Amino acid sequence: MEAPQVTVMPVTGGTINMMEYLLQGSVFDQALESLLHRLRGLCDNMEPETFTDHELVYLLKGQQGNPFILRARRSLSHPTSPWHLRYLGQPEVGDKSRHALVRNCVDVAASHSLPEFLNEMGFRMDHEFVANGHIFRKGAMKIVVSKLSRILVPGNTENTERLSLSFLVELSVLAPAGQDTMSEDMRSFAEQLKPLVHLEKIDPSKQRH
Amino acid sequence: MQQREEKQLEAAVESLISRVAHVKNALHSFIYKLENEYERLTWPSVLDNFALLSGQLNTINKLLKNEKTPSFRNQVIIPLLLSPDRDEDLAKLTELRVPVFSHEIVPDYLRTKPDPEVEEQEKQLSVEAARIGPEVAQKQIQTLNKLCSNLLEKLNNPRDDRDAESSAIRQNKPSFNPADTNALVGAVAFGKGLSKCRPPGPVAPGHPGQGPMMSGGPTLQQVTIGGGSNQQAVMGGPGAPQQPGQPGKMPSSIKTNIKSASGSMHPYNR
Repeated sequence: MEAPQVTVMPVTGGTINMMEYLLQGSVFDQALESLLHRLRGLCDNMEPETFTDHELVYLLKGQQGNPFILRARRSLSHPTSPWHLRYLGQPEVGDKSRHALVRNCVDVAASHSLPEFLNEMGFRMDHEFVANGHIFRKGAMKIVVSKLSRILVPGNTENTERLSLSFLVELSVLAPAGQDTMSEDMRSFAEQLKPLVHLEKIDPSKQRH
Repeated sequence: MQQREEKQLEAAVESLISRVAHVKNALHSFIYKLENEYERLTWPSVLDNFALLSGQLNTINKLLKNEKTPSFRNQVIIPLLLSPDRDEDLAKLTELRVPVFSHEIVPDYLRTKPDPEVEEQEKQLSVEAARIGPEVAQKQIQTLNKLCSNLLEKLNNPRDDRDAESSAIRQNKPSFNPADTNALVGAVAFGKGLSKCRPPGPVAPGHPGQGPMMSGGPTLQQVTIGGGSNQQAVMGGPGAPQQPGQPGKMPSSIKTNIKSASGSMHPYNR
């Protein structure tokens, strides 16, 4: 069973096909402070926002093809906030000269019964992790600097272990399909973060093997 | 002789009055600008105002140091008549700043010595200066001069080789590791290194024979990915009890008993 086209799914509240443009990089712990200073200077002036999120990735296995993946995310620092459910499509292979990874993206909010609902639907949780860090904005661009931690006991978010000694830096923009102007802005912003961080287009399928 | 001095004094006082009037006007416009146009004010224009005031104070100083100016220290101002009544002429003359020539204004306006606190500080400073001795003082002056001239030189001559050295130092300390980047991206994208149930590293798809948990049934068959039509999927989905498959045992799909049974018992099904 192929995952159905996103436009056919019953998405309430607007059927604009949103694409996510993504650039990723990493930075050592020691260089984090300088990166945060630089981001505070470059990005919009706002209170520095930190977040602690718990993300669970659910898979729906079909008989053939790739399993359907949904990502459920909840905030550990704001426990009463709704859950956030996200679908990310395959990266668009098109323009090799395009500077950012482009993929289809559907975001919805969900209530706290989301994990049980997904289980009833037939999804199974594949993996989970805790991400905490800082978030910055510049116009439409969102920059997230986060450290990922592995959850040692399933369901227990207190007992975590860091995945690596680096922080993951992601620059992303959500834009309607067809609008390709963002990748230039993203590239010039990424230039400004060199040589602290090299933000680049990393194809996740190439990482698999 | 007397007359010449008097004339000199008068001329000096006149020019002093005019200079002070200039300073007053400059201050007035500056304060107005600060109070009313502070949203549009830029730092360079504020600096311009300060420079103007500083220039005017300089001319006043030069005037006072001028040899033609008689020493004002020899002149004494004694108030002859103090009254608490409002004096209209004085008020007009001073733009309503001093309406009454009374006992209150005398200590402020006719002051010749510095304020007591200022006098105290000056005394302390001169005691301090006397204490350290002339040689030490001279050395301190020289050090200060050298520091100032170094700083001025650095600020005035931007040197390109200076930038090259600093960038070379920075390159020695890399701030990121591409291997870490790949590891993190892999973890976020598909859980590389995160799931504990699967062996470390990605599992190759299409492994038959996995999934030890199977409840007993007459026709047990594991159908791997690649088989089954859409109809079978629909049937297997809502109706049959799903096996609680191991999270992360990808992608061997364990079909339910009902589906397996129908698959094997009806070979002519399409």
